[in-house]
Amino acid sequence: MTTPIERIRNFCIIAHVDHGKSTLADRLLQETGAVDERNLKEQTLDTMDIERERGITIKSVAVRLNYRAQDGHDYVLNLIDTPGHVDFSYEVSRSLAACEGALLLVDAAQGVEAQTLANAYKAIEQDLEIIPVINKIDLPGADIDSTRRQIHDIIGLDADKAIMASAKAGKGTREVLEAVVERVPQPRGERTGPLRALIFDAVYNSYRGVIVYVRVKEGRLAKGMKILMMSTGRRHEVAELGVLTPGATPTDSLEAGEVGYLICNIKSLKNTKIGDTVTEAQRPAPKPLPGYEEAQSVVFCGLYPAVATDYEELRDALERLQLNDASFHFQADSSDALGLGYRLGFLGLLHMEIVQERLEREFDLTLVTTVPNVAYRVVGLDGQERTVENASKMPGPAEIQRIEEPYIEAEIICPTEYLSPVIELCKKKRGIHVRVDYLDARRCLAVYQMPLAEIVLDFYDKLKTCTRGYGSLEYRLIDYRPGDLVKLDILLNGEPVDALSSIVHRDRAEWTGRTLASRLRKLIPRQQFEVAIQAAIGSRILVRETVKPMRKNVTAKCYGGDITRKRKLLERQKEGKRRMKQVGTVEVPQEAFMALLRVGDEQER
Amino acid sequence: MIGIYLHIPYCRTLCPYCDFVRNPIDGAVPQRFVDAVCGEIAAFEGPDKAGTVFFGGGTPSLLAPASLERILAAVGERFVLEEPEVSIEANPDDVRGGLADAWRALGVTRVSLGVQSFDDGVLGYLGRRHDAATARQACGAVAERFDNWGMDLIFGAQPVDAWDATLAECAALAPKHVSVYGLTYEAATPFAARAGDAVDDDTYLELYWRAEAHLAGFEHYEVSNYAQPGRECRHNLIYWNNLEYAGFGPGAYSFVGGIRARNPVALNDYLAHPGGKCEALRLSDAEVRTETLIQHFRLAAGIRKAAYAERFGRAIHEDYGHALDGLVARGLIEEDREEFRPTRRGFELNNEIGLALVHEGGEPRAIASEA
Ligand SMILES: Nc1nc2c(ncn2[C@@H]2O[C@H](COP(=O)(O)OP(=O)(O)OP(=O)(O)O)[C@@H](O)[C@H]2O)c(=O)[nH]1
Ligand code: SF4
Ligand SMILES: [Mg+2]
Repeated sequence: MTTPIERIRNFCIIAHVDHGKSTLADRLLQETGAVDERNLKEQTLDTMDIERERGITIKSVAVRLNYRAQDGHDYVLNLIDTPGHVDFSYEVSRSLAACEGALLLVDAAQGVEAQTLANAYKAIEQDLEIIPVINKIDLPGADIDSTRRQIHDIIGLDADKAIMASAKAGKGTREVLEAVVERVPQPRGERTGPLRALIFDAVYNSYRGVIVYVRVKEGRLAKGMKILMMSTGRRHEVAELGVLTPGATPTDSLEAGEVGYLICNIKSLKNTKIGDTVTEAQRPAPKPLPGYEEAQSVVFCGLYPAVATDYEELRDALERLQLNDASFHFQADSSDALGLGYRLGFLGLLHMEIVQERLEREFDLTLVTTVPNVAYRVVGLDGQERTVENASKMPGPAEIQRIEEPYIEAEIICPTEYLSPVIELCKKKRGIHVRVDYLDARRCLAVYQMPLAEIVLDFYDKLKTCTRGYGSLEYRLIDYRPGDLVKLDILLNGEPVDALSSIVHRDRAEWTGRTLASRLRKLIPRQQFEVAIQAAIGSRILVRETVKPMRKNVTAKCYGGDITRKRKLLERQKEGKRRMKQVGTVEVPQEAFMALLRVGDEQER
Repeated sequence: MIGIYLHIPYCRTLCPYCDFVRNPIDGAVPQRFVDAVCGEIAAFEGPDKAGTVFFGGGTPSLLAPASLERILAAVGERFVLEEPEVSIEANPDDVRGGLADAWRALGVTRVSLGVQSFDDGVLGYLGRRHDAATARQACGAVAERFDNWGMDLIFGAQPVDAWDATLAECAALAPKHVSVYGLTYEAATPFAARAGDAVDDDTYLELYWRAEAHLAGFEHYEVSNYAQPGRECRHNLIYWNNLEYAGFGPGAYSFVGGIRARNPVALNDYLAHPGGKCEALRLSDAEVRTETLIQHFRLAAGIRKAAYAERFGRAIHEDYGHALDGLVARGLIEEDREEFRPTRRGFELNNEIGLALVHEGGEPRAIASEA
């Protein structure tokens, strides 16, 4: 039975990280009976292991709810829970495009934070109806009046009709559902016209192949229909389609306004483009839907299989994971030290960590990761410009006119009492002051322009520390600017190790070199011969550290049964050694390639 | 021909650094245990010929002569012994002239004394029940009655500088065999808490090589063992050549017919089922080859290429060429036409040799046989 379009509401929940989106989704699932009490757990929609362990949402999730409203009608509510972390804001944009309305959650104890603002603006840009929800009103620190004022003053929304909620205690749930029915506009879209459905997500399932999530904008999608993917030009037949309740429930058709999934024997992973438009092959729409901007990578790192023979498996895993997460990019790369591998681009550091972790966990791979860096623009002597995403591929100073680095504009929201440490931090990170706005009596917004490279490593942690957790950050790339940058090389026994090179600001090069060398000294285990670690800029050696040679490694007694035990022990040790990379004559543990990441923790000067 | 190992799992006092299978006891070794061992020997299934018998422990010198006699009789019943080496480990505290006479009379050919040190400070640190004077007396009593006798010494225990004097005294007593062990602070022992006392690696090696300097006329034939020419311990050579042996008593290992098995470690488990096994592992050919090489490289003589080829039916280079070449390049072993031998660095870094060999020789063949 198809739902009349006026009984459909499509909405998402957006907020700053941890303001309670997934918990509110739990209440909505519960209230509408989508999940029975037995199967309800905290943040039911966070199904990935990593999500549950870290307590954050990484992927948007769509669910269909059936709700009988106070007006006596039955409604279908399609809910999308979105992530709040800054790295995943592209997920939010994608979800918004499948909706007509958004619940904007604000934690009553935290107030408006950087992603509250950023996500609210995205929803406004897409012309969505925004329903402010003030959440966590049960907390002792909740300040409802101030939160209401902030919603009005900072975001510019009418806060009078904000709903008071405690997702945890189940307060305000009905009000939220009623507001969705009343205030979110019904979907527009001609059901009889040619089909246009937006692919807003896709996952790979090893039994079913690719499962595509769509929002039907116009026309009708039916089982058995021959469809055409408008940007890739691929044709398929719909083998199954249905709705997510939240489990997959097959139906015969999906009409304009509805959200659901379709399966059509897509085996090849590369052939589904998120943001693509699905149309009917027999009666194609004249024009595709607007689609999505490509997610832009801001950090890059090298990923190498710990065991060289896993190279093919790594490629396979990357391809599969990419279907699930179209926001990272990869291309084949090679390193003298690490062999064949890939260069990956990510949306941020958390995103990088998560992709690595998923690759290792879901595909059972052991990986060596190199230190993340940003993409530099290099202007050669001939005036030619090119992008360098890999510090080790940076040409020598003699071959280039200048290096330009990406700059961002950062918006930092924090309580006014933490403004001066925030300014201090931004200055140290080569930030250029733009302005400070006082948002209300207690909060301010500091706007700085700074090199992206300075924030990818540890800025976020430092910001959290210097604001006792109250500071929040949003940033966007603005342009490239020339920088006084040098390539810092690390040499092991006199040989430069490409995978350990980094680009640093000249003023920081010496300190970074020292810290890195001393870190490496601690990370590289003793070997039969002495290992010399040097940090250098070009031919100038900044510092030398040595790993003393292993003097003895011998078991005093080895009689009867000892031998089998010993062999097994040696076998285990050898397994461990396999995870190390042989760089020339030196065995380097995987963590060493990430040593630079933690350099920022060291006491400075 | 196999070797026979008999584990006597009793000690009068428990030394705090020791992680052997042993149980405290006041008097002599109980009859119940002797019965169990004799029963286990009688029921042994496997080869009949044996060339060595080794009483180890624990403290075999706690066996009353009558018990020793019964066990040897059981061995004689079950096995055909051909000019056997019959060794017994002894605690200096237990050795009296009369006991040593009894051993001789029963056919013991070799005595190994757990001297450990001739310094009272070191013996105290180690928590041994004997002192230096007792050790000297025991050496005298044994030397008078046995041509083939030896002692165990420990270095690296506090006070470390007593080591020279102990070595000098040992050399003066002219035993035929000396085992020299570096003290280890094993995790499951009371000494684990004293791991901070451990000497650094440089000192360890200095003390280790000091033994070679003192024991002129001895051959440093194994990582931790010295012998006058021709007086190597034949029983222990079975282990280092990775040949077959049968072990009796709790915790004892056997290696017969490609199976490495262990008797139950806990005394009560053993007494309940003498002859039962707590682990039994059939080793693959590749595992046997690797273990054989690892063990051989504890020996100064290393491994003869011809011996390998004869035993395993192929050239050693075919199986381990890559690893052996690497070890030669690292200076841990040396090669000549006949054999591979560990170098001095190869003794110091002996486990590195093993590490290079594991996962090497067998694997290509294992994969090939699967295909
Ligand atoms: N006291 C209180 N805690 C709440 C409430 N709602 C959510 N929380 C808690 O806030 C934390 C974050 O909740 P989530 O629902 O995971 O937040 P989220 O917005 O989905 O987080 P991300 O998806 O990572 O952005 C959890 O510990 C919740 O239990 C509430 O109304 N009151
Ligand atoms: S006498 Fe030997 S076996 Fe017994 S506890 Fe002491 S060291 Fe261990
Ligand atoms: Mg969430």
